[in-house]
Amino acid sequence: MNKLILFILILIGVALIAPEARADDPVMMPPVLDGKQRECMDCHRYPNINTNEGAYASQAFCLECHGQKACQKTVNGQKVSLRVNLQTFEKTRHKYAACIQCHTDVARCPHSSESGAQCTECHTVHGEEEIHDPHLRVDCQACHRTSKFVSLDKKTGQVRLSHFNDQKAPISLTDHALPDVTDPEFCKRCHTNENKVGAAAAVLPSKSFICILCHSAPLTIGHPIFWAALIIFLFGMILTLSFWFKGSVEEEEKSLHRKVALTSESVWQTLFSRQVFTLIKVVILDVFLQRRILQESVKRWSIHSLIYLSILARLFLGLLTYFAYRIGPDSSLALSLLNKNNGFTAFFYDLTGLLIVTGIAWAMIQRFILKPVHVAREGQDNLAIGIIGILIILGFLLEGTRILMTQIPSSMAVYSFIGYPIAKLIAGLGLDWKLIYPYLWYAHAVVGALLIAYLPFGKMKHVFNTPLTLMMNYKMK
Amino acid sequence: MMTKEDSRQEVFIRFSVLQRFLHIIVMVGFTGLAITGFSLKFSAQWWASGFVYLIGGAGHLAYLHRFFAVITYACVMAHIIWLIYYKLVLKGSLTGPQSLFPKVKDIKDLLGHLRYFFGRGSLPSFNRFTYWEKFDYLAIFLGMNTMGLTGLILWAPEFFSRLIPGYFINLAQVLHLYEAIMAVALKFVVHLISAHFRPEIFPVEKSIFNGKTTKEKIIREHPGEWENINASTESAASGSASQTS
Repeated sequence: MNKLILFILILIGVALIAPEARADDPVMMPPVLDGKQRECMDCHRYPNINTNEGAYASQAFCLECHGQKACQKTVNGQKVSLRVNLQTFEKTRHKYAACIQCHTDVARCPHSSESGAQCTECHTVHGEEEIHDPHLRVDCQACHRTSKFVSLDKKTGQVRLSHFNDQKAPISLTDHALPDVTDPEFCKRCHTNENKVGAAAAVLPSKSFICILCHSAPLTIGHPIFWAALIIFLFGMILTLSFWFKGSVEEEEKSLHRKVALTSESVWQTLFSRQVFTLIKVVILDVFLQRRILQESVKRWSIHSLIYLSILARLFLGLLTYFAYRIGPDSSLALSLLNKNNGFTAFFYDLTGLLIVTGIAWAMIQRFILKPVHVAREGQDNLAIGIIGILIILGFLLEGTRILMTQIPSSMAVYSFIGYPIAKLIAGLGLDWKLIYPYLWYAHAVVGALLIAYLPFGKMKHVFNTPLTLMMNYKMK
Repeated sequence: MMTKEDSRQEVFIRFSVLQRFLHIIVMVGFTGLAITGFSLKFSAQWWASGFVYLIGGAGHLAYLHRFFAVITYACVMAHIIWLIYYKLVLKGSLTGPQSLFPKVKDIKDLLGHLRYFFGRGSLPSFNRFTYWEKFDYLAIFLGMNTMGLTGLILWAPEFFSRLIPGYFINLAQVLHLYEAIMAVALKFVVHLISAHFRPEIFPVEKSIFNGKTTKEKIIREHPGEWENINASTESAASGSASQTS
């Protein structure tokens, strides 16, 4: 019985004393404890960093040295502080994380880090939505740290937080505070006229979801240019639809409600009947593979397919990128598809771009030089071809400028087999391309937006009309 | 002149394309919500952890749960817009005898139906929607809104705790779970049986999928509606069930 009372008393005692051990300042563990040498396991253990206790133990252990002013290293004869300021660290959202949660390779002998802090152990990289893919070559710390000195590693093309300031003097990077990166002014750490890391001289907006036709894109509308394009596009679609419903539907002349009801009824009955298999066949053979144009003329089919199938392939890869990133932002698939400098991605986009330009050039030759009798040379057609042609050429120019500006290593850049030669070519002009890049970007964006806005009006209307006509013709049969 | 057999098979449209479409989306969305939601709530169970493993982690499950929530609630919004359009543009009645609005007659129908089950009376003359069909509809229509509200609070707790006290988050959690259990029980047991597994319908009520019903079926299941159709054909000479909600 006495033993039980003693046990309860000890429990109460522990409960009373235990909170005392966790004061505001972490408890330092001196090499000598209570006049006795420390136990080996005081240090040589791996705390369970998934618990608060373990995280706290890890912080206390590291801060035993890194909390002291005397903690410093010597670089090029100059002393650099290695002291971590607990006051600023505790204001960040990382305050409950163990040091070795991020600094994964420091708990070893000799005590040094090769990889630096690992953000992607817990966080995923930003996709197109938050920040655009060129930032895949920028280390997390280059933005998410208060030190404003960044440098470009020419070997890997990676932008890093610099260990030296502008005067080449070593600096301390132990400030664990997280700067407010939502402020647009913040981006001027790199995006200035004089930056040396190959950033564009202006902060450019992100792509819009309308760009998904040819690029991987976020699910946002973005810049006002794209808003305007989208509004014009929707207006055009409403006009087109109201034009379609001007005619009579199954002898209904007046009521729009009845016309819509009858049309949707007919579509529903077709979709949920055996006819749907015929419809799928029509979509594959006539809409995707363009069988009817092939029957008419192989040349026409080639020209049209060079443009159309290439855009379709780009759309497919853009959608794949979006879903791959949504499902597994850390997956190598998502990272390779997002990264414009990745061998496959660079090659794919350059190849499809080249095919489109070839198609456009061939069509131009047909129209303006050879002029066969059967080719109707309408102004509208020329406009559509012209917009796509200018869009792609601007795109290639933009890519060349980006490769030149960001100074990515040539072993990486060669996969952009169009962009890289352009970069080499324009390098001879001796211009400051990071100043020109924003103008080129906006030009490309405006022409792209123009194409989207133009879709429901001129010649490009055929992308909606023709598939529908083809499908309806089969229903009539 | 149609034969008697032909005229009994005369086809009427019971559900519009929009209603069929919304039913399919809600069907998929609701089932998805139930599977992902219960797998999150009962994550310690073997079937839940197995499912989470197949999907690729609880993060994907949460993402899918929100995806299904968005498509399901989009259907509720579309339906509300349709109701406004029906009332204002088509000048339809949202509270009339042929509508889904609950009436005193429904209670009478229920009592009459119970009497009929025990052989003490004839089948009540149901209108376009019977009392259990109204119950099914109102349960999901109101339920989706309350589930949507508690779900939204749980989706953005930081935002809502600025507007309402913190314990509302806990409240939302409790309500979201118990209403989910109730809704699933209602839809997968009561709705499925009363709409699809009744002996005269089994195995599936096709009219919500193809929209069609026959004169024979209307007379058998909704005699009150048939009288209404006859009355309106006599007065307006353009009777079609497609105009009624």
